[in-house]
Amino acid sequence: MPTDSLAEFELLVLLAAVRLGSDEAYTVSIAREIAERTGRSVRRANVYTTLQRLEAKGMVASRMGLPHPERGGRPPRLVRVEPRGLAAVRATTGAIHAMSGDLDDLLGQPS
Amino acid sequence: MSAPRWARAILRRAAPPGQEDAVVGDLEEAHRARTKRHHAATAWLLTAFETADMTWALLRQRRRPIPAFSWLDFKLGLRMLVRYPGLTAVGGLAIAFAIWVGAGFFEFGTQLLSPRLPLPDGDGVVMLRLYDVRTRKDQMPTAYDFLNWRKEVTTVGQMSAYRRIRRNLRTGDGPGEPATITRMSATGFDVAGVPPLLGRTLTSADEVPGATDVVVIGHDLWQARFGGNPDVVGRSVQLGRDRATIIGVMPEGFGFPIADQLWTPLRLADADLTPGAGLRLEVFGRVAPEHSIGEARNELELLAVRTSIDFPEAYEHLQVDVVSFKLGALGIPPRSKSAVVAGVISWNVAVVLFVMVICANVALLIFARAAARESELVVRSALGASRARIVAQLFVEALVLGMVGAAVGLTAAGYGLRWGMNVVATQVMGSGGLSLPFWMSDTLSSTTVAYALILTAVGAGVAGILPAFKVTRDVGSSLRRASAGGGGIQFGGVWTVVIVSQVAVTIALPVGAFLFREELVKVEEVDIGVPTDEYLAARLEMDREPPPDRPADTTAAAFAERYRTALGELAERLRAEPSVSVVTFAEKLPLMYHPWHQIEVDEGGMEPPDLRGHRGGVSGVDPGYFEALGVPILSGRGFGAGDLESDAHTVIVNESFVRRVLGGKNPLGRRIQIIASEASREPDRTVPWHEIVGVVPDLGQQSGYGALGPMGVYYAAAPDDVYPIHIAIRGGKDPLSLIPRVLAAATEVDPTLRVQNIIRMDETAKDDVTFYRFFIGLIGIGSGLALLLSMAGIYAVMSFTVSKRTREIGIRVALGSDPTRVTAAIFRRPLLQLGSGVLVGTFLAWVLIESSPRVNGLGALGGAAVYSLLMTCVCLLACVVPTRRALRIEPSEALRADG
Repeated sequence: MPTDSLAEFELLVLLAAVRLGSDEAYTVSIAREIAERTGRSVRRANVYTTLQRLEAKGMVASRMGLPHPERGGRPPRLVRVEPRGLAAVRATTGAIHAMSGDLDDLLGQPS
Repeated sequence: MSAPRWARAILRRAAPPGQEDAVVGDLEEAHRARTKRHHAATAWLLTAFETADMTWALLRQRRRPIPAFSWLDFKLGLRMLVRYPGLTAVGGLAIAFAIWVGAGFFEFGTQLLSPRLPLPDGDGVVMLRLYDVRTRKDQMPTAYDFLNWRKEVTTVGQMSAYRRIRRNLRTGDGPGEPATITRMSATGFDVAGVPPLLGRTLTSADEVPGATDVVVIGHDLWQARFGGNPDVVGRSVQLGRDRATIIGVMPEGFGFPIADQLWTPLRLADADLTPGAGLRLEVFGRVAPEHSIGEARNELELLAVRTSIDFPEAYEHLQVDVVSFKLGALGIPPRSKSAVVAGVISWNVAVVLFVMVICANVALLIFARAAARESELVVRSALGASRARIVAQLFVEALVLGMVGAAVGLTAAGYGLRWGMNVVATQVMGSGGLSLPFWMSDTLSSTTVAYALILTAVGAGVAGILPAFKVTRDVGSSLRRASAGGGGIQFGGVWTVVIVSQVAVTIALPVGAFLFREELVKVEEVDIGVPTDEYLAARLEMDREPPPDRPADTTAAAFAERYRTALGELAERLRAEPSVSVVTFAEKLPLMYHPWHQIEVDEGGMEPPDLRGHRGGVSGVDPGYFEALGVPILSGRGFGAGDLESDAHTVIVNESFVRRVLGGKNPLGRRIQIIASEASREPDRTVPWHEIVGVVPDLGQQSGYGALGPMGVYYAAAPDDVYPIHIAIRGGKDPLSLIPRVLAAATEVDPTLRVQNIIRMDETAKDDVTFYRFFIGLIGIGSGLALLLSMAGIYAVMSFTVSKRTREIGIRVALGSDPTRVTAAIFRRPLLQLGSGVLVGTFLAWVLIESSPRVNGLGALGGAAVYSLLMTCVCLLACVVPTRRALRIEPSEALRADG
């Protein structure tokens, strides 16, 4: 099976979901995680749409979590990264490293 | 704090099945986190934006199929136009009117507020203005500023300047006629980037002192004065006292900077170059290709700082602005740009609302038609047509009707725009010696046509989809009831609101029409006891520069002396004409607009109508003015030579003044103060007292404060006391035949004496008449259409509602009910709706009358009463016909039909 390629935002969403783990990853927490780590503003609608797309591709699976008072007593829809998603993350990050590995002098340190 | 309930409800509806709680929970969590970081209002706003964003994302996910349209729908739509001619006529006319007004106003508004400059890369042309932070007003730059900027600034290229002057233009042996001359830098033509049609444009050599005087003329002037003669280049014309050689003709439609037709070189070699003083100019140029307008602004701001350090007194309170040429040339201050944008938006919102109101009315008719086609829709539904298909079909039917209306409306808008522009150009601006900016066009732009088509589509959405949803919502149950012999579609509460609002608006409309009609009657029927059709009226202006054979005295006193001498000579020459019986002068002549002044009166005056005090039109007049016009002095005396003395301080007032300010008491010997509107804001300024020495009848003064009759005050003035002064010449039955003589006499007296706006005196108010007639016409058509729409809508809905109850009437009568009581029960609801509408409408009319003191309340209410009566008749007719039909049904038949 050929490895899936990921768009930049899909990669960020999957990486955030991997970091948060299957008991903490849902739309709001993923958006917050990306915003905090990258410093960029993230629209929740974009995260939701991306998760829907990734789920349709079989890269993540979802289940309902436990209700929480901060959510008005409503449960989150938790996501877990599936092996296919992990493979896609590996392939995409690998490609990025392969392309940028020896360009540190030219690109400089990330700010 | 919880997320807003409406946001939760929207997301719950938009979320896919099974995910509602998770989606709403996300919203809740995000909103609560926001309220901890932001103010509640900010958090609310951010959540609102996010809800909209999220809803859009959710709806896109659901990917509901859009119903497909087929040509058959359009064919059916066309068939419906023929099958329901009444609806086609009324609805089509209404939409045509809406599009006519909507597109016409959109085009006019867009051209006025957001024009496109028809020059190569027109958006790159900018104007440079000064802004005084102390007075908060824009200022024209000086010659010093212009030359300084031209030398220093690199971000704006081809820096140019212009100023306008008025001169008499003579192209042959005939008399001079006033014309506007634009003294412009030669580079100004490079900025415009338009080559001449004939000859050449100005060059820097033309700007050198001592160079031959040259002029470039516009296409319109070339046609009007030279009959389009191709050999015009090289001929000379007289501009005031100077002669200039024509060196070029610009192509048709070119009027750069605004509506200019005569260009001469701007010579600044001898100009006063004192920083912050001297000649004022309009400065413009092109932003250099490699720079942006922001960079130009930054560079000029830096330069302004340097200049203010060098010359603090003249420049420390001044800022520099770089604005788009179209706003700058029209004198729209850069700080008003947001107001202009707001104006464009509110203009469009008003137009869209207007079209939507009309379409809502058409929706009522379409709903009644759809309801009447209930059985057809039920059958289509039973045969498998989805709700979306039926909605699509009804939308297309409304769209077809809308397109027919839009075609008629756009054609009318095209004619209307041409007419409107012509009226504005010739009667409004033309009378002030102005023309429309060259970028204004009298044809509809493609943007306007697209705008009208979008409006039509949205309108069709309102008129077609709303009724379609209402009708199709009941189709399923109708299908079930139809199988049991019952009827389905009902007119609900929404339509009650529509009917009540419609009746109310229709009844309130005549008040608007009366408002304008009263004004028109006032302007048209004013009889001042002076045969104004026998008089010529004109404004007299003169060049301020002294003639070469006189001492170069440029003081105001020297100019006043020359002006008085010229007017005296002109009056003498005109009086020598056999057909001229009277020549007199005044600051403002009868029927003209008189700027208002605040009037203070000594003790015992009437209470002013509001806090702004008594206000009236004031005019300086020649001592023999009233005698010359044949106006009787009702009490006291007229003016004499002694009243011209500076310490005389005497005035004559009109009858309205005596009535309104003095309550009809003897005015002679009473004292008043005339406070110019500017001076009235400075309480420490001493204003002289004037004694009232006479009373004259009202002379048709128009002013911005004519609510209770024109209030006028006259003081004696010599011709040089007022500039510019107006002249009135009585020339018998055909005063217009005198015009060539008046122009010739003025040229003979002084070639720079300009006779502006020469017209018959009774035509003075024609601008107002045209204006009022136009709006009365518009309101009249709108009012008539509203009445027609209302009547058609009410008839359709009422007769449909009553006919739906046919079986009920039959059964009631069969069961022994009294037909009169049954009829009363049937009529109750329609009459209640009508009564509520009449009540609300009368209240609206009353509010309008109360807020507009100029309206004849009784007349307007009379119009509203006639409308109410008409509505009641239509309503009764709509109820009577189906009720009578129902009462004639045999009870046994009604019972059988129900089984």
